[in-house]
Amino acid sequence: MLNYLLFIATIGSIYGLLALSLNLIWGGAGMVNLGLAGFFAVGAYASALATTDAHLPIVAGWILALAAGGLAGLVVTLSTTRLREDYLAIVTLGFAEVVRLVAANEVWLTRGTDGISGIPGPWKALLGSDFNAVYLLIVLTILALVFLLMRRIDRSPYGRVLRAIREDAQVAQVAGKPVLRFKAEAFALSAGIAGLAGALYGHFTSYIAPDLFLPLITVYVFLAVAGGGTGRPAGALIGAYLLMVLLESARFLVELVPVISAVQRAALKELIIAVALILVLRLAPGGLLSERVPAAPRLPMEGKS
Amino acid sequence: MKRVTLRRRTALLSGVAALAAPAVLRAQSDPIKIATLTPLTGAGGPYGPVMAKVAASVVDEVNAAGGVLGRRIQLTSEDDQTNPDAGVRAARKLIDVDKVAAIMGTWASSVTTAVAPLCWESKTFLCTVSGADSITQLPHQGFLVRTQPNSTLQVARSGTFMLSLGAKKIYTMIPQTPFTQTTFDLMGKLVAKAGATHQGLIYDDKKTTYRTEVDQVLRSNPDMIFAAGYTPDTIILLKDLYRAGFKGKIIGFGYAINQKLVDQIGQPEVVEGVYAYSPSPDEGSKAYERVKKATGLANPDPYTCQVYDHVNLVLMAIAQGKAATGVGIKDNIRAVAQGGGTAVDNAVDGLKAIAAGQKVDYSGASGPCDFDDKGDIIDCKFRYDQIKGGKFTLVKIG
Repeated sequence: MLNYLLFIATIGSIYGLLALSLNLIWGGAGMVNLGLAGFFAVGAYASALATTDAHLPIVAGWILALAAGGLAGLVVTLSTTRLREDYLAIVTLGFAEVVRLVAANEVWLTRGTDGISGIPGPWKALLGSDFNAVYLLIVLTILALVFLLMRRIDRSPYGRVLRAIREDAQVAQVAGKPVLRFKAEAFALSAGIAGLAGALYGHFTSYIAPDLFLPLITVYVFLAVAGGGTGRPAGALIGAYLLMVLLESARFLVELVPVISAVQRAALKELIIAVALILVLRLAPGGLLSERVPAAPRLPMEGKS
Repeated sequence: MKRVTLRRRTALLSGVAALAAPAVLRAQSDPIKIATLTPLTGAGGPYGPVMAKVAASVVDEVNAAGGVLGRRIQLTSEDDQTNPDAGVRAARKLIDVDKVAAIMGTWASSVTTAVAPLCWESKTFLCTVSGADSITQLPHQGFLVRTQPNSTLQVARSGTFMLSLGAKKIYTMIPQTPFTQTTFDLMGKLVAKAGATHQGLIYDDKKTTYRTEVDQVLRSNPDMIFAAGYTPDTIILLKDLYRAGFKGKIIGFGYAINQKLVDQIGQPEVVEGVYAYSPSPDEGSKAYERVKKATGLANPDPYTCQVYDHVNLVLMAIAQGKAATGVGIKDNIRAVAQGGGTAVDNAVDGLKAIAAGQKVDYSGASGPCDFDDKGDIIDCKFRYDQIKGGKFTLVKIG
């Protein structure tokens, strides 16, 4: 039981990283990134290949994943500078599918649909059954660092510029803010975090394959951020954990229902999850924790008059 | 404010209660726990539910006959959603919360490869119906067997059959799968030896038309096309081949070219003469008849037959080793599956024989179920059918 809870907490924390990544770009800068699964995959593959084929240490794999995700993010923003809203969403969704198809078809690099198995975990042999607990601590530490960084950004002038771009990019431009640079930086950072999450996932479960990176993951993370509260890092994080609790506890709830068959149970599980999400969005449309916009700092002039 | 705190606490308590429920059940009796992990939703959705159903029927039979080692069997059926992430989470729950001794019926190769490390690390036994060659090459320490012949064997058999039909120019049309490269390599070698030629083309299985692919293939004028996809893409492919006026022979896997495909195409002339081949269930055997009865199907698919065999083998291995653990099953599954002795085709008879101190040798609904050291099936028969007038007619079994 303990091992299971540790496992779910770790996966929940990795979803938490993805939620923070999405919150920065969607909640912060208002750019809809439906390609989250793609950046997740880029990071997972970068780290898995670096540590299995190139035999680099795991930490190097993680740094590489962060860089690869960020680079992919930069490429995507710079090639879509003229796109906004729905159009950007479609292109990013396409990007994720391209990543998945490349992973499935470039067999020489990614081992195709077989996937990469035997990805090393940190001190796995040494730790034995304690591995899950130690890995959870590592993931939580990284999550805490990213969370603090996100909150810092959220409250800093940088975060205010992002919000200004979200509300109206033209106004921000007129105010003298280099909109494109802000967008590219934020997108690259967000994609880098998603890549890091992918690497953490791969080294935890020891196996990745193109099938893992279906758009379903992106949808889950969107639900987590929407349910938890867009535009607020704590909301995104809580949303991710709640989603995982919901996905897993539905499993136990349906077991309490007698007589129905296995298929009906699976359908009922999906139904419970759907209803719960509808209820959250109906009763708290802004998410559980809605965005807090700090009051604008008083200008020194006002005080003097 | 206070009301909110209370509500949260109630929610938390009910959550904890839900999580703790299996523990309460566990205290009341001490059943032997096993599980199926089949795709109840997703791409494998057409297969998984029947697999879970037939597993439950075996458990019911054995429980009615007094269980194993005097203990009742408790079967948990989880859904892998045909997705490795969901599969891993479900497996973790089965291993750590339900503490099952064996997980049976993983279907997609990616799910099996993702779940296998959890199983061997926690000493839980895994029985699978996935075909990818790489699965039995994992360092599974004996905690894995599969009843599906691996893709190398399947492709070799189809190649031999095509040559026996007199094919001279074979063209393989296949989506990207774990066995795509193996298929090309094997077919190339096999066909060259017989003095024929082979070419291959990989297509995207999510496309809605294959006219360009078909044009490209027909340019080299093949007399035999190996359509090695899944049902949805093979439907489109066969229609496009018919429209392009292809007059040669077509063969494909039985899991793709089945009655559902014929019904969905709806025009018998499109599929007339198409061959299908698959690992043959042991038709006419008593075990196969029982699978038919338990599922209510006239032609249960190979996966269902294989899961029926998984459950029987696992239960007999538990009795043989007198241990309801993954290690017990690993050490004893070959003792009940092969090596001579009293021939049995179901766990109820097998358990009686084992209790009487006899050595048993199980042959089930999918065939003899004998495994090599890596966990691959040793011997497997294939059946070859041809569609005539919209109906599958048997060409041969062998």
